[in-house]
Amino acid sequence: MVIQALLKRNTYYDSITLMSVIQFVKEQAAVDDAGAVMATGANLALMEQAELLPAAFLAELEKQPGPEDLLIAIRASDEAAARAALLVAEQKLAAPGKKESSGSASTPAARSLEMALRHDASANMALISVAGEHAWLEAEQALRKGLHVFLFSNNVSVEQERRLKTLAASKGLLLMGPDCGTAIINGVGLGFSNVAPRGNIGIVGASGTGMQQLTCLIAAAGLGISQAIGTGGRDLSEAIDGIMMREGLALLERDPSTEVIVLVSKLPAKHVAQALLAEAARCEKPVVAVFLGKAPEEFEPVDSIIKLASTHTDGAELAVSFAGGDHKRVPGNGALLALESKLAEQHASLAPSQRYVRALYSGGTLCYEAMLLLSEQVGEVASNIPLRPEWELAAHEQYRGHTALDLGTDEFTRGKPHPMIDPTIRLHYLEQAAQDSETAVILLDIVLGFCSHLNPASVYAPLIQRLRDEAQAAGRSLPVIVSLCGTEGDPQRLSAQRAALEAAGALVLESNEAAAFAAASLVRGTNGISQSRGLYD
Amino acid sequence: MTLTLEALDYSRPIRPLFAQAARTGFVHSIFPKALNIVVDETLFVLLSAGVSRMPNSARLPACIMEQLYAKLRPGVEVCVGNGKLSIPMLDLSVHLPDKAAWEPVPVIAAHSWHGATVVRHADVIARHLAQRAREDGLAHLVKPLLLQQATWETPLAKIALPLLRSLLRASREQDVVGVEQAARGLAGLGPGLTPSGDDTLGGFIGVMALLSFQAGPDDIKSKDLVGRQGATDGWGRTPTRGVPTCGITRPPSTKSDRPLARIIADAARPCTTLLSATLLAHAARGAVAEHVGELLMALPGEESATVLRAAERVLAYGACSGGDTLLGLLLGLQAAGIDYPTDDTGENYGYTSAAQAEYVL
Repeated sequence: MVIQALLKRNTYYDSITLMSVIQFVKEQAAVDDAGAVMATGANLALMEQAELLPAAFLAELEKQPGPEDLLIAIRASDEAAARAALLVAEQKLAAPGKKESSGSASTPAARSLEMALRHDASANMALISVAGEHAWLEAEQALRKGLHVFLFSNNVSVEQERRLKTLAASKGLLLMGPDCGTAIINGVGLGFSNVAPRGNIGIVGASGTGMQQLTCLIAAAGLGISQAIGTGGRDLSEAIDGIMMREGLALLERDPSTEVIVLVSKLPAKHVAQALLAEAARCEKPVVAVFLGKAPEEFEPVDSIIKLASTHTDGAELAVSFAGGDHKRVPGNGALLALESKLAEQHASLAPSQRYVRALYSGGTLCYEAMLLLSEQVGEVASNIPLRPEWELAAHEQYRGHTALDLGTDEFTRGKPHPMIDPTIRLHYLEQAAQDSETAVILLDIVLGFCSHLNPASVYAPLIQRLRDEAQAAGRSLPVIVSLCGTEGDPQRLSAQRAALEAAGALVLESNEAAAFAAASLVRGTNGISQSRGLYD
Repeated sequence: MTLTLEALDYSRPIRPLFAQAARTGFVHSIFPKALNIVVDETLFVLLSAGVSRMPNSARLPACIMEQLYAKLRPGVEVCVGNGKLSIPMLDLSVHLPDKAAWEPVPVIAAHSWHGATVVRHADVIARHLAQRAREDGLAHLVKPLLLQQATWETPLAKIALPLLRSLLRASREQDVVGVEQAARGLAGLGPGLTPSGDDTLGGFIGVMALLSFQAGPDDIKSKDLVGRQGATDGWGRTPTRGVPTCGITRPPSTKSDRPLARIIADAARPCTTLLSATLLAHAARGAVAEHVGELLMALPGEESATVLRAAERVLAYGACSGGDTLLGLLLGLQAAGIDYPTDDTGENYGYTSAAQAEYVL
């Protein structure tokens, strides 16, 4: 092993930047360990303890480093790897959070909407990600300049949201958000999005990971997406009244490349959903509405041109059928049949104490869908986003019986990266769930695509392997089921991620519904599979 | 033409710095939402609106901070005094608003402190912190220190755990030399712009200072802090008397003339960054960040949910600074008499097994 170091005098970076850069560097090939600390005496001792102290490097310095200097040290298998990693660290620190240079001549960064429009007057959409308290102002300015808006920022009040959406609708513009994480516009992914072929299915969604799940299931069936329009999670609430979902619906109806429209939301306000469906009934294109948490019969009678679905998988299958594809190619519950023997085998090897599903989700809508399905199969599911108030986890509880955690909520992500980007928080919970003797099965979602972690399997697979080995050594099995949401075109490559996770012993399903059923069947016995709703449809 | 702006608000300790004759300083460091400025070895910070206030901060509208972040670099010359901050390079000056300053010393005497209530809240916070703590700071040491649980054996933990135990022991025994040694070992230790050890010391001495009668008046030098005012408590107001101690014993007095919190801050100062040393000096006088003060003010209340929400806000600060600070607060409460089932020997409780320790969370 060799250690290479870099000293930056009187240089300061915030903790989050330093830690994310070092985490990135540690993932580089041949890097064994790395650290970036203020060069205090205590930290030099700490580096020595961690076998990261660059003694030779320090000996050559004319002036020894002090508390105001930043010291970066990297230990790698050879000098070239260490130097390369050091270069990566320096580049990342020079432009934290920015992508590597593409090599083309770069445009100077625009620091205001006006500057951005001066760079390119043909732009017709603004992507806004500023502190919530100012976001509405930026959004309003953009709308008044005739721009569609993708509003990534959260902490915009309901009143401001309604005002902005009313303004947007009056101008025939989209206000996607606030807190909108996902969209695909004219083939360009915004925020957390997957690489899917262009096609004839358009989506309007009030849930980010719900749209991603639909996109990936449709892509797996060989079809593509015309547009995916996010609305922000509150759009179908009473207060917002579905303003942007209706606007999106109208746009897709006019869009010549869209032949089938999918609407997706969790728990819409009933009368808002009914009004939306009435509007959809006047549409000349087939419409599939995926309303999680609402049974289709709640909306009867519905025009025959509209199909209602209560899961993403059902919605994808319906959309694929309408679009002229083969719904059997959607990787839905049929995939469970192939796993039936494995599930039976793993169920049989559970210790008597192993009775509960422990679901650790990064995607809020996927978590919600899993809870709906699990609760139908196993009863109460405790959670930080509970289906019923009495199922809420108390502050001191990490798990209670069957438990599903949405680790992407503010309580887990305040000041920290989302678990789809940085798996740290979920790794912690994963380890704890594995050590709990009552855990029968761990259910995870892993969402691929832009903005997500670049190689989640490289982080999760070794841990899953180790936890399963440790459980086996302790005389019990530890089934891990992964709901893997991604496409072959994603930067992480679906097949590569699947292979790595399966090699570690995880059961991998692309349908979140199927993954939830698989988890339920493990605690109920494999009879649970054949009882799964829609499995043999 | 000079553009003149008014800050949205400011912390009381920076007022004298603006009131004095103009002095030249420089931009120390700059982030999207924070701009640190040093004048005569005194550091204060301009923050973006919406960011939790610090004991030495003034806040500006976010759009202004974005402009400053875009245009300024460390080392740029500034001038502070005669009622304003001037940045000649930008032809810009910032005045403090003509309204009451924000007070960073929480008035904990305003509430009745019942020992049993605080113990209960501290226990809830400790368990919450144990669940949420990451491996890369010191917060996870709440497990062996306060909950008799094992934790990760990291290089940082190996160094810090005995020092924190020494700090607690020496504080209880009024062992000034021991306290200074522990503080010097922890200062500047760990990751982050304010290293983890400093954040923990900050929480610790903040509590010690607030629960101590000795926290206020002393011989503050202008270069340590900018809040000293005349013949009051060093903070421009009457020293707090009758700080509630119901059920909580006061921090032990030391054999030194200086209060324990001050001894720790003084010992730490040469061992760490200017930014950390500044915040420690403020904490030694009970001046803490807004989110920390909110948590301390929530402790006398009955509602655990309120306390947990406030603890969450502290936890959310920085990468691991929040958790490290929370650990310091809990240790400070213990030093002030909260009775935890602590393992002092370190023999029965400490690290997880080697196999667990190998895994980097």
